Amino acid sequence: MKKYQNIKDKMLLIGFNLIILAIWEIAVDSGWIERFILPSPSDVIISLWVNSSEIFKHTKVTLFEGLVGLVFAIAFSFLMAILMDQVKWIKKIMYPMLVISQTVPIIIIAPLVAMWFGFGIAPKVFVVVLVCFFPITISLIDGLQSVDFELINLLKSMGATKMEIFLKVKFPFTLPGFFSGLKIAATYSIMGAVIGEWLGGKSGLGVYMLRARHSFSLDKVFASIVVIILLSISIFYLISILQKIIMPWAKFKEEK
Amino acid sequence: MNSYLKDNVLEVKGVSKKYIDEKIIENIDIVLKKEEFVTILGPSGSGKSTLFNIISGLINPEEGQIFINGENVTGQTGFVSYMHQKDLLLPWRDVVGNGAIPLEIKGFSKKESRDRVEKMLHIFELQEHGHKFPMQLSGGMRQRVSLLRTYMFSSEIMLLDEPFGGLDAITKFKMQQYLRDVIRKIKGSVLFITHDIEEAIFLSDRIYVINGNPAKVVEEISVDLNRPRNEEIIASDEFRRLKSRILKLL
Ligand SMILES: Nc1ncnc2c1ncn2[C@@H]1O[C@H](COP(=O)(O)OP(=O)(O)OP(=O)(O)O)[C@@H](O)[C@H]1O
Ligand SMILES: [Mg+2]
Repeated sequence: MKKYQNIKDKMLLIGFNLIILAIWEIAVDSGWIERFILPSPSDVIISLWVNSSEIFKHTKVTLFEGLVGLVFAIAFSFLMAILMDQVKWIKKIMYPMLVISQTVPIIIIAPLVAMWFGFGIAPKVFVVVLVCFFPITISLIDGLQSVDFELINLLKSMGATKMEIFLKVKFPFTLPGFFSGLKIAATYSIMGAVIGEWLGGKSGLGVYMLRARHSFSLDKVFASIVVIILLSISIFYLISILQKIIMPWAKFKEEK
Repeated sequence: MNSYLKDNVLEVKGVSKKYIDEKIIENIDIVLKKEEFVTILGPSGSGKSTLFNIISGLINPEEGQIFINGENVTGQTGFVSYMHQKDLLLPWRDVVGNGAIPLEIKGFSKKESRDRVEKMLHIFELQEHGHKFPMQLSGGMRQRVSLLRTYMFSSEIMLLDEPFGGLDAITKFKMQQYLRDVIRKIKGSVLFITHDIEEAIFLSDRIYVINGNPAKVVEEISVDLNRPRNEEIIASDEFRRLKSRILKLL
């Protein structure tokens, strides 16, 4: 029954998208919308195919930056969350700072980043970390702080050390929240890398998009967008799979 | 030291505690002998859990001491095992894994801990559930696992804080009989908290009734009902006599 519902939902989603694409295609092919304003879906697919080797080259760069940034963001988030969880005054200072850091428009910060780190991979990774660490850190710290204090007391009454309480209770307890945060961050990571590339550099999807736009090859711009969407979704699903492997007990929740 | 005193595995001497300006419990004296089942009975909010937190060393009393086997352990953790009303099981560990936590904290390897727990499963009537996760178990089953974990830490002094408070009446009744049987098998010394008078009489050798503001021990009652006890004693004269005596105190 549930499976059937699932398939039905998917069909609905695919069908809806196909209809939109069809309308779009017809609108462009019939000349109702000019090609230089909006390329048709088939133009985009052809462009993807024709430029595949070039796009692939740039994609590798962007993917690398996105993933490296994500890994740094995770490491940084853990460090921050553990510090904030263990030391009260660090949390009092840092938590508002983290929120403030997210209110500064990234587009304004980005050129400064290029000034500080040059035009290599570093500024791109930095931008990725900047957009990714926030959802991870917040979900981690909220998870760590919402652990049932009676549970912690129980382990304390057994004589557990702070470290044991962290490893045996707090850390596993935060995993569901951590993965929610990580999924949000992951969808931002490729976008972050692309924004980083817009500031300058020699390769990456962001650079490719800029060049395509300057030469009015809108089909290439759209091809890049398709790749960015696919990459982001893939990372998202990869993390979902990873979550199922790391948290096998979570599936029992649904059965009850 | 005479033999009577040596028998006391736990002594609570003149313990008082206040939160901010309000005195919660005052001058509480309690003893627990080896293999005895003693209940602390009192109204909700009278400070029973506070007393357990003091005995287990999680909080310090303003006055008084806790002695375990004659040694002053006031404010020190790690001497008694503690079971809560909430089962507090870790959802990511199966039944055996949950039972193994206290052993891991004591320094046994994961494997050794699990092996030891596996050997005890049958006593807790959990042999068929060792590899299930808490989410797959009913409330009563989960409390069995919680009791198993409590036992794995120590059976010498077990503090059980309203372990069946969250269960429905039928499950609660079954769990009381279950607890009676398990405690006999493991020869545990138990300090039990409840505000259910029948539960207290059914399970206990002695009952401390605490009441008042701040709460004090208002009476210590010996339950002289033969063991093993079964459901029928609830209808006995002695049982009803005890019940009305306690009701008058509360
Ligand atoms: N950390 C605390 N700070 C301030 N007051 C507290 C604290 N813990 C408990 N109290 C108060 O102390 C009193 C006794 O609480 P306690 O939990 O010991 O009662 P109890 O007898 O276990 O009640 P119940 O039967 O409902 O579990 C309550 O009035 C409670 O509000
Ligand atoms: Mg209580």
